[in-house]
Amino acid sequence: MSSIPMIRQTAGKGAAKAAAKRPNPRAGRPRNRGGAGDIRRPGPLTYGALGAVLLASLFPLYWSFLVGSHDSTALSRGIPLLPGGNFLANAAKVFDSIPFWKAMGNSILVSTVTSASVVIFSTLAGFAFAKLRFRGSKGLLVFVIATMAVPTQLGVVPLFIVMAKLGWTGTLWAVIIPGIVTAFGVFWMTQYLRDALPDELIEAVRMDGASMIQAFWYVGFPAARPAAAMLALFTFVATWTNFFWPFIVLDPSNPTLPVALQLLQAAHFVDYSVVLAGAVLATIPLLLLFIAAGRQLVSGIMQGAVKG
Amino acid sequence: MKFPRKLAALSASAACLTLALSGCGADAPKNAGPTGETGKEPVTLSLATFNEFGYEDLLKEYETLNPNVTIQHKKAATTNEARDNLTTRLAAGSGLSDIEAIEVDWLSELKEYPDQFVDLKDPAVEGRWLDWKTEAATTQDGHLIGYGTDSGPEAVCYNGALLEAAGMPSDRESVAKMLGTTWDSYFDAGKKFVAAGTGPAWFDSAGAIYQGMSNQMSKAYENEDGTVIAADNPEVKEVYTKVLTASTQDNLSAHLGQWSNDWVAGFQSQKFATTLCPGWMLGVIEGNAAGVEGWDVANVFPGGGGNWGGSYLTVPSQGKNQAEAKKLAAWLTAPEQQIKAFTAKGTFPSQVEALTSEELLGQTNAFFNDAPTGEIFAERAKAVGDSPFKGPKFFAINDAMQQALTRVDVDKSDDAESSWAKFLTAVKSL
Amino acid sequence: MSVTDRVRPQGQSIDEEIPGNRDVRRLAFSQQVSKWDVKLSPYLYISPFFLLFALTGLFPLLYTGWVSLHNWNLIGGQGKFIGFENFGFVLGQPYFWNAVGNTLSIFLLSSVPQVVLALLIAAVLDANLRAKTFWRMGVLVPFVVAPVAVGLIFNNLFADQFGLVNEFLGLLGLDPVRWHSDQLASHFAIATMVNFRWIGYNALIFLAAMQAIPRDVFEAATIDGAGRVRQFLSVTVPMLRPTVIFVAITSTIGGLQIFDEPRVFDQSGLGGADRQWQTLTMYIWELGWGQRNFGRASAVAWLLFLMIVLIALVNFLLTRRIANQGGRK
Repeated sequence: MSSIPMIRQTAGKGAAKAAAKRPNPRAGRPRNRGGAGDIRRPGPLTYGALGAVLLASLFPLYWSFLVGSHDSTALSRGIPLLPGGNFLANAAKVFDSIPFWKAMGNSILVSTVTSASVVIFSTLAGFAFAKLRFRGSKGLLVFVIATMAVPTQLGVVPLFIVMAKLGWTGTLWAVIIPGIVTAFGVFWMTQYLRDALPDELIEAVRMDGASMIQAFWYVGFPAARPAAAMLALFTFVATWTNFFWPFIVLDPSNPTLPVALQLLQAAHFVDYSVVLAGAVLATIPLLLLFIAAGRQLVSGIMQGAVKG
Repeated sequence: MKFPRKLAALSASAACLTLALSGCGADAPKNAGPTGETGKEPVTLSLATFNEFGYEDLLKEYETLNPNVTIQHKKAATTNEARDNLTTRLAAGSGLSDIEAIEVDWLSELKEYPDQFVDLKDPAVEGRWLDWKTEAATTQDGHLIGYGTDSGPEAVCYNGALLEAAGMPSDRESVAKMLGTTWDSYFDAGKKFVAAGTGPAWFDSAGAIYQGMSNQMSKAYENEDGTVIAADNPEVKEVYTKVLTASTQDNLSAHLGQWSNDWVAGFQSQKFATTLCPGWMLGVIEGNAAGVEGWDVANVFPGGGGNWGGSYLTVPSQGKNQAEAKKLAAWLTAPEQQIKAFTAKGTFPSQVEALTSEELLGQTNAFFNDAPTGEIFAERAKAVGDSPFKGPKFFAINDAMQQALTRVDVDKSDDAESSWAKFLTAVKSL
Repeated sequence: MSVTDRVRPQGQSIDEEIPGNRDVRRLAFSQQVSKWDVKLSPYLYISPFFLLFALTGLFPLLYTGWVSLHNWNLIGGQGKFIGFENFGFVLGQPYFWNAVGNTLSIFLLSSVPQVVLALLIAAVLDANLRAKTFWRMGVLVPFVVAPVAVGLIFNNLFADQFGLVNEFLGLLGLDPVRWHSDQLASHFAIATMVNFRWIGYNALIFLAAMQAIPRDVFEAATIDGAGRVRQFLSVTVPMLRPTVIFVAITSTIGGLQIFDEPRVFDQSGLGGADRQWQTLTMYIWELGWGQRNFGRASAVAWLLFLMIVLIALVNFLLTRRIANQGGRK
């Protein structure tokens, strides 16, 4: 009997099924004890606190929608309380003035490719740093973290020179390549895998004849799933909202969404209602992503708990 | 084993993405035409502007007139972004558009590097613009860096209702007479207004007034040879003191820094009665003061005339289609085209002929009490004196001065003397 | 021995089990491959990052180091070699030290509340809530709101004369705060903007780590009689130690480079008329893009880099010690 299927039961896809088969230690326990492990629902105080936090979080989005649904004079007359009826008219203006759909397509492409590659390469590197023993691993990890300290503003000119030499200015490559693996991602996966992936699992699968890459694929990657999902989400959002570098390096015929959004602004007189309507429209794909990914994340996190 | 299949699937999708990317990221086509000729081969020109130049329809017109030319238009949202973009690409040595629009504020620094820009001097466009406009874009060796597009001749906008409440005249001609042609007469009218005790101040901030005055100093901060004289130039200190006295001691200022939230709200709360306004400011005031009655424009400017803003079209030497670009720039800045842009977006022309066009002179503005704004600003444009000398550090020193004024007038964190001392330190460090 | 026999004779390696490997020469080769696999694969796996970094991180770093040793105008290009003169000049500028002070102040005002609040929010989110997805994703929304909207909102809130916060303070009978004139007040306002954006993000990071804590540990603690709060302090926090360290380091590095929020705090983007809220990255921007002095800007960038490395190190040691003390050894 190969030992590989057994390992997949404690991590990865089979975990939930395997967990269900194990006897439930909670059955028969009294229900009204406190503690984070309790399945009792939290009380109104908790929901109240959460509600306040959520209100503060959602307020700017709501406010943008509010202003975006009035016209240009609304803001100078004081902050409106209820939405007006002007949103669709403003949205039409947004679509007219900037290449919205093309920019959206570009943003989706760039963010998806970047987060996929960041997850893959960071998990790979994290796996190496966390679990494999090789010379210089400690020093190199510190070096990785140190690279986060390089201020981005100054890197703009030399990076632009590099992109120009490669002939990539104006293409989406110039925006994707600098982001395909991040120090944050490597650091994140390293510290997660260190705790979440027991050495014994790797040794076991190695003893059964798996090569390094198979060990990574069958053991490392599944164990990293919750953190990988989180990293993918963060990277996607961060890449989506990135403005400065795409502005410098892309052309207006080929923008990403934040760059296109800035075009709605003029220096002197700005119709903020149109700008904020555009801002709301640009956030909608992310909100959709949250709804879709949120469920994934919640279930992924619950499954990933490896008994250590 | 699933592994090889998954790997195959991954590589396939990676390949598809690569193809998609190379499709999406089309490079700007490289055009054969050598830089000297304008033939009939297909050419793609790139044009970079900011804010609203009013060029959308004009570009289509040019393409119809010149079927071999395709134009790609890049717009930055603000002048600061455009400036940052230009600087980065100049530093990197590539990536600029065939035509780059620049604003007069950054012009002086760019004049230090004339080899980065094609000399656009041409007998065909001789005398097209007002003298001060062309002068500002010409280096000492006569190298013309840019063709003027629009300009910002200044007049004085005022709120007639507030003036009336203070017992002062509110119709255009009387107000123009009352304000007079010097800064002293302007400040005197202000003192009378404030003395009436109705509440509002006379102007928005010291910085705004200084902006008007600084463009009238022939040699404010630097000498032609590059030495910085800001600290020693008595004119600078004089103007500084004068503005601050009027603002703080005579209480003429509303202490609202321009473009701040408080300043925008100040229009609604009617915190000040007058403000210096270039043509493009009318739209701003209309937006900020929506619903407020009484705004009007007086055909006068203290000190004679002043200009704030205005842009130029330049042709960077990096470009590969210099001759075609020059042709397009010349066409776009011709009086007929500028009038069309003016009709579209209100960018006031800087071309001499345009100032006499019927369309321009007939323009009125409903929000400003149906003032004949076309006429007013045409006259103001002619009243602008010689263009002041601005060296490469003008921008930075002027910024430092604005900050010094803000510290005293808006922030009230310093008095005039200590703020001046900080200004001197800042200038020395440049 | 038959091929299907799984028992390995002593001294034989894995590869000898696989049929066809009985041949001595092929034995040595596949053994060799396996050895290479173990030795080289770590380096192979970390190489994508380092290759990319060499291009997009190391090259800019070295390039700006080179630039900082010269008189270098951003448009005019390379000038004379002047050694460390740029560094000396910059260190003597009062605005440099002002920026250092501002950066540290904003950093402390933002990262400490961020970490604490994020932990608390994560603890609440960890509970068995109804509509988990809604609450958990909801706290991430500030992170996706466009900077232009955030700038507009906070400028409306913190305007000196007509802002909402000052009006509210007036209702309470307090004096209005001069958010754009007073140095510390401006730091507080900007820290609020930063916290707003990053608390939800950090909360989710903590949440992911909390969810990885096995539930039996809490069971045991409950049986021992520990209440919610005690459990949080003595069980959750120590088990989150690596995550706390991670968040401390990343928010240190990010916090010392704050640029976007202070930049939109007023129209000029310079950090206030008296540089009340100019951070180091804004100072770099002013020197490089405002004054076009690339050499001096690069010098400040390198100083900032060294500063970040130093402070992150200190932060790491501190956090490790604190997190250690929180738990039972």
